Amino acid sequence: MTEREPRDPNDPVLPAVEEVREAELRGVEAGLGEVFEVPIGPIHPAMKEPIRLTFRVRGERIVGVEIRTGFAHRGIEFMGMRQGRNLIQVLYLSERICGICSVSHPIAFTQAVERAAGIEVPPRAQYIRVIISELERIHSHLLWAGVAAHELGFDTLLHLTWRVREKVLDILEELTGNRIDYAIPIFGGVRRDITPEQYPKVWEAIRYYRGLLEQLLDAFLRDPTVEARTRGVGVLEPKEAEELCAVGPTARASGLRKDVRQDRPYLAYPDFEVKAITPADYGLTPIGDVYDKIVVRLLEVGQSLDIIEKALMNMPEGEITSFPKIPALLAYLKKAEGEGLGWHEAPRGEVIHYVRLVSGDESLLVWKVKAPTYSNLLSWYPMFEDQEIADIPIIAACIDPCICCMDRVYVVRDGREETWTKEQLLKLSWEKTRRLRR
Amino acid sequence: MRAEQVLRALTASLGEKLRSYELRPLEVGVRQKRTVEEIWAEVAREAIPQAVAVLKGLGPLHISIISGHDAGETIELLYHLAVGFGTEGGEVMVTLRTFLPKSDPTVPSICGILPGAETTEREKIEFLGVDFPGIPRRDHVFLPDDLPVHPWRRDEPELEKFLHRMVEWEKGHDRKGTEGS
Amino acid sequence: MSGWLVVGQAALVLLGGGIVGLFYRGVDRKIAARMQARIGPPLRQPFLDLGKLLVKETVIPKTAVAWLFSAMPFLAVIASFTALLYLPWGPFGPVLEGHGDAILVLYLLAVPALAMALGGFASGSPLGVVGAQRELVMLVSYEFPLAVVLVALAWRLSTLGLGPAFSLGVLAQNPLWGAVGPLGILGLAILLVSLLVVTPAELAKIPFDIPEAETEIAGGLFVEYSGTYLALFYLADAVRTVVMAGLVVALFVPYGIAGPLGLRGAAAQVVDLLFWLLKVFFVMVLAVTTVRVGMARLKVDQIARGFWWRITALALGGLLLLVLDKVVMA
Repeated sequence: MTEREPRDPNDPVLPAVEEVREAELRGVEAGLGEVFEVPIGPIHPAMKEPIRLTFRVRGERIVGVEIRTGFAHRGIEFMGMRQGRNLIQVLYLSERICGICSVSHPIAFTQAVERAAGIEVPPRAQYIRVIISELERIHSHLLWAGVAAHELGFDTLLHLTWRVREKVLDILEELTGNRIDYAIPIFGGVRRDITPEQYPKVWEAIRYYRGLLEQLLDAFLRDPTVEARTRGVGVLEPKEAEELCAVGPTARASGLRKDVRQDRPYLAYPDFEVKAITPADYGLTPIGDVYDKIVVRLLEVGQSLDIIEKALMNMPEGEITSFPKIPALLAYLKKAEGEGLGWHEAPRGEVIHYVRLVSGDESLLVWKVKAPTYSNLLSWYPMFEDQEIADIPIIAACIDPCICCMDRVYVVRDGREETWTKEQLLKLSWEKTRRLRR
Repeated sequence: MRAEQVLRALTASLGEKLRSYELRPLEVGVRQKRTVEEIWAEVAREAIPQAVAVLKGLGPLHISIISGHDAGETIELLYHLAVGFGTEGGEVMVTLRTFLPKSDPTVPSICGILPGAETTEREKIEFLGVDFPGIPRRDHVFLPDDLPVHPWRRDEPELEKFLHRMVEWEKGHDRKGTEGS
Repeated sequence: MSGWLVVGQAALVLLGGGIVGLFYRGVDRKIAARMQARIGPPLRQPFLDLGKLLVKETVIPKTAVAWLFSAMPFLAVIASFTALLYLPWGPFGPVLEGHGDAILVLYLLAVPALAMALGGFASGSPLGVVGAQRELVMLVSYEFPLAVVLVALAWRLSTLGLGPAFSLGVLAQNPLWGAVGPLGILGLAILLVSLLVVTPAELAKIPFDIPEAETEIAGGLFVEYSGTYLALFYLADAVRTVVMAGLVVALFVPYGIAGPLGLRGAAAQVVDLLFWLLKVFFVMVLAVTTVRVGMARLKVDQIARGFWWRITALALGGLLLLVLDKVVMA
C-alpha cells in the first residue's frame, strides 16, 4: 500500500510547483477529498533541529511538501571571510559548524588551505586524521540508528544503541580530550599524537563493536515491526539520487557506489582501499528505502572498524605536524596565496570546502562550505511523494539531516541540571577525562 | 575516467568559449600513492549550461556546490562539479569558473540539466544577488524572505548599517537567559 | 443494601481505582525503564505529574470550539471512573451490580476514546485532527474483536444457565475454564490472546499509540490540551488501564487464593483483594509494558488491517470453537 509507483523515466525528478497544485485540484474534483496543510516544525518533537516542512495532506496521504530552512543560519562563512579572523580562528569556527561531524569540516577545511598554500602533511598525521574521522563515523551512525528507532516509536532500540555508542565517545575522549569538537586537525598536521599506551584501549573498543555489530544488525534488520515501518517507505530511486546529486549513505542506499573516499581519495585513504557500501553487499537488491539506509549505515560501522584496525597496524612513525610553532604557521599562511578545494566523506556524505588566500592578508578572501545535508535536501521531495503522515519522521530522519550543519549554526547544549554551574561541569568533565586516561 | 578525456571533450565542444584551463594533479596516499586530478577551467558565462551538458555526457555527474565571490567589477562564480563517480579513483573534479559583470549579473540556470543544482543556485540568488534565468524556484533558502541585502556583496551600502542594527538589537536584549549561568 | 452504603462503597472504589491506576502507571514506567537499561522515574512520579498538571495554566486555543474542547476531558474521566463501578474487585462484586451489564462496560470503555477524538477535532489544530481521525479508525478496528470476545463468553455462560450471563459479576463468579470441554478450553485460550492484543490498542500504547504518536504528530489529540484538562485525560488513561486489565482478569482468571489457603472472613477478603491487584498488575505488565518496550509504532493502515483480518478472525475462531464445544458437550 505504501509503496509508490516507479517513476516514468521521462518525468522530471522534481515536478514543478504548479503541476503539483494542478494534480491536487484534479484530485479534489475527482472526489478524492479535500487537501489540508499539516505543518511540521520549525519546532517539532521529531525534528531535533529547526526546519519547517509544510505538508499538503489528503487523509493520511501526502500530496505535496514545501521545505523551508534557514531557521538556524549563523552566517559562519561571512564570519570567516569578512570579520578579520585569522586562519586559526576560522579553524575553530569550522569545527563548530556541526556538533556531530565536528572533525569532518576541519578535515575538509585544512585540506583546502593546505592545497591553497602548498603545505605538506606528514604521513602519521594523515593516519591520525583518518582514525579520528572513522571513529566519528561510528559514533554518528550509531547516533542516527538510535534516532531512527525513536522516530519509529521503538525507544528500547534507541536506548540500546545510544548505550553502545558511549564506548566510542569514551575512546574519542581518551584520544582527543573531548566527546565532540575534537580539535585534532590543524594546518599541516594534527594537534595530538596517538600514543602507544592508547592503542590497547582502541583495540578493546574495536573488539567490543565487532561483537556487537551482529547483534545490532539483528535488532534492526530482523525485527518485524521495524521492517513493517521501513520497507518500501521513502524510496529514492537510483536515477533520482543521481540527478538530485544525493551524497553519502542516502545515495548509496539507492545502489549508487558513490563515496568520496573511493572515488577521489584524499589523505591516506588510498592505503585502505575503501569500497562504497550498498545494500547489495548485504545480499539485498537496493531499492533506496529507509530499510536500505539502515543497512548501509550499520555496514559502514563495520567498514570503519576495518579501516581503524588497518590504520593502527600500519601507523607510520614520524612527526605529527610540519609546523610545530603556531606563530610560524600564521606567518607562513599570511604570505601564502592561492585557492584550493578540500573534501571529505563525512558520516552523512560529501563535505567540500573552497578557500582562496591572498598574500599579505591573514584572513580568507573566499570561503564556501558545503555540508552533506545541503546536497541531500532535494532528495526529500521524491522521498515524501505519496507517503503517509506516519512516515514523515522516519523519512525526514533517513537522510540523517544535520540542519545546523547545512544552515551552519552551532547548538549549545547545557548541563544536566540547572544547579550545576559551568565551572562545576567543566571540572566534572576534566575528572572524567582523567579517569579514562588512567 | 581520466582528466585528459574530460578536457578533450570540453575543448572540442566549447572551442573559444573555454577561455583557459589548468590541470592540478594531486598526489595522495601514504603507502599506496595515487594521483587525483583536478581541472580548473574558465568558461564564458553563456557556455555554462553547454559545459555542464558535455560533462553529463561523460558519465554520472555530481554538483558539489557553486562558490561565489564579489571581485569588485565582476562577480566570480565557481561551479565545483565531479564527473564519473562509482569507480575507485575514477572521479574527476572539474571547477568551472565564470565572471559576471555587476551591471548584468545573470547566468543561465543548469537546473534543466542537473536538477540537483537548485539549492545552490537559489543560495547564490540570496547571497550574491545573481540571477539564474530558468531556475524553477527562486525563494530564499537560508535567509529571511524580506532581508534587504545580499550579504556577500562587498559594495552593499546597506550591509554595514544592517549589521550594525543587528549588533544594537543584540545589545538591547537581555542576554542573561542565554548565558549559561 | 442501603443507599448510603452504596455511596460509601462507590467512593472507596473510585478513590482506590484512581490511586491504583496512577501507582500502576508508575510501576509500568519503572519496569519499562529497567528493561531499557535506564533508571526510570520514582514510583510516585505519576502523582507528581498529575499534581503539577493541575496547578499549570489551562489554555484554550482561539481556534478551538471552546465548550466541546473543555467538556471532553470531563466526559473521559467520568466514563472511565464509572466503568470502575461495574468492575468486580476480587472478592467484592461490582458496586452497581444489577444496574447495567458487560455491554455497558464496553460502551464506557469506548466513551473516553470518543471523547478524546472529539476533543482532538474541537482543538482546531491540524495535528489534533489527524490524531482524532486515527483514534476513530482505531476504535472501529479493535471494538469488534473486543465485542466478539465478550459475547462469546456470555453466550457460553448463558448456555450453562447460571443467571444473567451479561453481568460481569456473574461472569467472574463462574469461570468457564472448568465448565467446558477441550475444544472450549482451546477456544477460551484463543479469545484470551485476542483480548490481550486488544488491550494495548484500547489503551493506545505502543505499538498502537498512533493517535498520540509523539514523534509523528507531536501528541496528536492532546497537542492543544494543557493544565487541568491534560491532567484529567492523564487520570482517565490511568484508570482505563485498571479497568481494561480488570476486565481481562474478570473474564478469564477470576480465581481467588483465599479458598485454597483455607482462610475465612475478613482475612480471606483482604488476601483475595491483594491477589486480585497482583493479577491486574500481571496482566498490565504482560499486555502493556512488555509489548510497548519490545515493538515499534505501527501505522494506521497496518493496525486497521491487522485488527480487521487477523485479530477479528482469531476472535471469531475462538467463538466458533466455543459453539462447537457446546454442540459436542450437549
